Amino acid sequence: MDAVLKATGLKKYYGKGDTLVKALDGINLEIERGKFTAIIGTSGSGKSTLLNMLGGLDTPDEGSIRVGNTELAKLSSEEATVFRRRQIGFIFQNYNLVPVLSVWENIIFPVSLDGKKPDKKFIREIVKLLGLEKKLDSLPGQLSGGQQQRVAIARALASKPAIILADEPTGNLDSRTSDDVIGLLKMTGREFHQTIVMITHNPEIAEMADRIVQIEDGRIVAQ
Amino acid sequence: MKKEFQPVKTLNQRTFRKNRGRNVVAVLAILMTTMMFTTLFTLAQSMSRNMVEMTFRQSGYNAHASFKSITEEQAEKIRSHPDVEEVGESTVLGVARNTELANLQTEIRWASESYAAHSYAMPRTGRMPEAENEIALDTRVLERLGIPRQTGEEVTLEWKPDVNSEEVTRSTFTLCGFWEGNESSYAAMAWVSREFADSVTGGNAGGMPVADGQVLGTHMAQVTLKQDGDIEQTMERILEDKGLEGLEYNVNLAWMPETNDTAFQQSLPMYLGMILVFAAGYLIIYNIFQISVTADVQFYGRLRTLGMTGRQIRKLIYGQANRLCLLGIPAGLILGWLLGMVLVPVLLGMLEGESTVSASPVIFAGSALFAWLTVLISCLRPARLASKVSPVEALRMSDAPGGGKQKRKRRQGTASVISMAWANLGRNKKRTVTVICSLSLGLVLLCCFYAKNAAFDMDKYLEWLTIADFELSDVSHGDQMNGYNPRGTTLNDDLTEMLSQAEGVEETGHQYSHQFFWQMDEQTRANYREYYNEDRLADWASYNENQAESMRKNIETGQISAVIYGMDGIPLDTITSDRYIQAGAWDPQAFATGDYVLAIGPAVEPEETADTVLPGPSVGSTVSLEGRDYTVMALVYPLAPVDDGAAEAGVEESQELHFIIPAETFREQWPENTLRQFFLNVDDGAAEDVQKLLDDYTENVDGSLPVTSRQTMARQYEEETRSAAVMGNAISLIIALVGVLNFVNSMVTAIVSRKREFAMIQSVGMTKRQLRKMLVSEGLFYAGITLLVSVTVSSAAICTVIRWMTEGGYSTWHFTLLPLAFCAPLLLLFAVLVPWLCFRNLEKQSIVERLRME
Repeated sequence: MDAVLKATGLKKYYGKGDTLVKALDGINLEIERGKFTAIIGTSGSGKSTLLNMLGGLDTPDEGSIRVGNTELAKLSSEEATVFRRRQIGFIFQNYNLVPVLSVWENIIFPVSLDGKKPDKKFIREIVKLLGLEKKLDSLPGQLSGGQQQRVAIARALASKPAIILADEPTGNLDSRTSDDVIGLLKMTGREFHQTIVMITHNPEIAEMADRIVQIEDGRIVAQ
Repeated sequence: MKKEFQPVKTLNQRTFRKNRGRNVVAVLAILMTTMMFTTLFTLAQSMSRNMVEMTFRQSGYNAHASFKSITEEQAEKIRSHPDVEEVGESTVLGVARNTELANLQTEIRWASESYAAHSYAMPRTGRMPEAENEIALDTRVLERLGIPRQTGEEVTLEWKPDVNSEEVTRSTFTLCGFWEGNESSYAAMAWVSREFADSVTGGNAGGMPVADGQVLGTHMAQVTLKQDGDIEQTMERILEDKGLEGLEYNVNLAWMPETNDTAFQQSLPMYLGMILVFAAGYLIIYNIFQISVTADVQFYGRLRTLGMTGRQIRKLIYGQANRLCLLGIPAGLILGWLLGMVLVPVLLGMLEGESTVSASPVIFAGSALFAWLTVLISCLRPARLASKVSPVEALRMSDAPGGGKQKRKRRQGTASVISMAWANLGRNKKRTVTVICSLSLGLVLLCCFYAKNAAFDMDKYLEWLTIADFELSDVSHGDQMNGYNPRGTTLNDDLTEMLSQAEGVEETGHQYSHQFFWQMDEQTRANYREYYNEDRLADWASYNENQAESMRKNIETGQISAVIYGMDGIPLDTITSDRYIQAGAWDPQAFATGDYVLAIGPAVEPEETADTVLPGPSVGSTVSLEGRDYTVMALVYPLAPVDDGAAEAGVEESQELHFIIPAETFREQWPENTLRQFFLNVDDGAAEDVQKLLDDYTENVDGSLPVTSRQTMARQYEEETRSAAVMGNAISLIIALVGVLNFVNSMVTAIVSRKREFAMIQSVGMTKRQLRKMLVSEGLFYAGITLLVSVTVSSAAICTVIRWMTEGGYSTWHFTLLPLAFCAPLLLLFAVLVPWLCFRNLEKQSIVERLRME
């Protein structure tokens, strides 16, 4: 198997004694290149913590994560940031758009932070695919939830990352819009040969994935 | 299609626009900080400049160095040196002897234009003399001679070409130019033409050998160099290069490093003030940014998750700071300089001469730099906080940073509104501490300045300078240059009689003096030897080597200059009051017999003299003063109005021992000596009339009569304290204002950022009244803690630092916290008003609206 993401023995504990919370308790996971993986679990099961760790936003107490040939633990905080914006596209439940920037600016924001010129032709292609052409000069506040999430998807794709990590991208959307967004995500993933890892607690949406991983109490219980 | 997108710059611009409230407060804070820096810089610079200028005026010229004796050829050689900018030359002919000019040394000289210009003696009206009978004078001389300020007037000067002969020459000139006299200089210049100088020196005005004690024909020069640095070294090099080694010269006092040191010392309080300004500026700007970053922590976390590096986030925050500086600093510079312009004359009011307000670019560049650095340093921690926000933590963070370490509350009972308010203060301890420090800083400073100024003791000050309502003295009484003339006629019988008989005069006093070299008796000498042991002499030498050396010589030879004062009335009564007796006991009846003498001891604190022998004759011993024996009745402390003044003319320089005998006895022994000082106490109501009488006298009879009145002294006292007080209070007020701004900002942001939380508490049942009570209690807690801290710190500072600072001198230390008493109600008012207004603003939105907000 060609694993683009490999997590080994991940552990993350919070608190002490009575209040000890085992967010992750020994997780081993490999994600195949080009596949669409869904992570499911109840709230508090540790799925968000896992996703944040896979993307280098959070660090494990124990265990290691390898993305491609890079060992995340060996990166400094600044290096991790740069690595993330180049290799990983994040999509969040609450979209995480910068309210003071226009749609276009939001989309090219991570690429520009890298000091690179955005590939305008490519991005325009994404924008067209996501149906955002007419909204490029709007501010996020002027868009509906589905539109905002599409902007977030466009942003995640803009840097042509190898991996897209999505944390309940449909959590705030109605079911029709949800279906649209997941469809788009699958479609762009195929189009641009990307690996997608998505968190959801919606079994129907999980059904659309190539593979489903279930987490409870910080452990993988089924896959 | 679109302009190049620069994410940090764009974000910087847009977030800046969004934070309008914060910007207003921050700009105000930066403005005030810059303003204080500029004011202090302006004051410091102006003080130094005025100080140097004053030294120039006192030394009489502003060139770098001067030659007291040089020939024209030598001066020409020096002029040709590449390091020399200018050489001015002058030939001294003599000193005017007109009686009107008795107190003003008027030097008759020829001078080149450069010399005159550098000597503050260039005619403003008219020109330098050209024809043989022309003369240029300053307005002081014109005034004394009673000549109108107008060229073409006739001027007659009396002078002695030969100083040793009694023969006085009268020369008559035509006034061709005049200038405003330099009040700081004891000497005035009377410029004559080269032609006149040549004719009286027999053509030798360009430098000729001058016999000892003579002045006619002394040729002098002043050298202005191209550079200000190390004058002495440059001068040596010039002389060496030109083969003029050994030629004596003086470096202008104002260019000596010592003058700069003194100027620096003078402005030291300003530099200390700047540290305080920095502290005040730091406390508020830091707080503003800390609050702003804490409020936007989720925003920064979001940027982090999107791939913004810590560096880029820091850049974003410094970018905001720089924008704020761009608005606040220029305005602060202008306001600060204007404030400085108002304060400089007040501050220099006590110094003589006109003051100039420095507008040097250094002030603006320096203040701007300082203010900018203060802002950057203030942003250091907030920027680090923002850049260190962990993307994951950001999603959890709220108003209380550094969470996770919450202690469990063990308190039982009801969750009262007041205890909630108290707990709210503890939620963000750092901010609470910052605000309390900021507020207290201003208050403590205000208290300290007030206590220091209040310690200035009018009575002590006046007593030190004057012991009577009016003190008149002989014109030569304070003439350190020429010495006191014991046969002076300033205080003639007509004058003293007129004054003694004036209406309202209650008391008078007389003082005569006589000075001679006295051979100490063995006991006195032994006393001196014991008192001035090696330790004391070494200590003395550390600040005045010459005096210590001279005392050593006095003890060795047993000879000391004795000044005998004959006194009656006011000065005698004052000096013999209990607190001025150093040793022995005062017995007026015995003293009146004329067989007793008082000796004046050293100027030391009473504690220091308790167990030591005092320098001077022992009490009870007999001293012989110019042929008459006296028994030493007591030793008294020195007191300026009683035994200060110039040494008698012609007496060899030495340390002095002062004696006091009754005026009557004095006049029997030295009948030739005339009155030196005359003291006058009058009815409160009569002071004005006597003053008028004296004004009349100085205007019509004798313009040179020195008069000191208690009233003018009191006025001077007020000016002196006012200027110091204005300065200190202005700065501490602004610092206090900064504290209030900090408080208001903290309070407002704390309330606004908790809008949702309040809606939540309200939704579960807290009434408006209770909420308002909670907010007002928070404000009152702030004010209460601030007052507590201020009272404690101020009391400590006043009892230690201020007490130490006001020890001795004219001050009497009292404990006072009056400014706090004034500020407390104001502070409490703010503490109630700010939350109350915020709450009213809050109420405009419904609970549901506020709950929905993110």
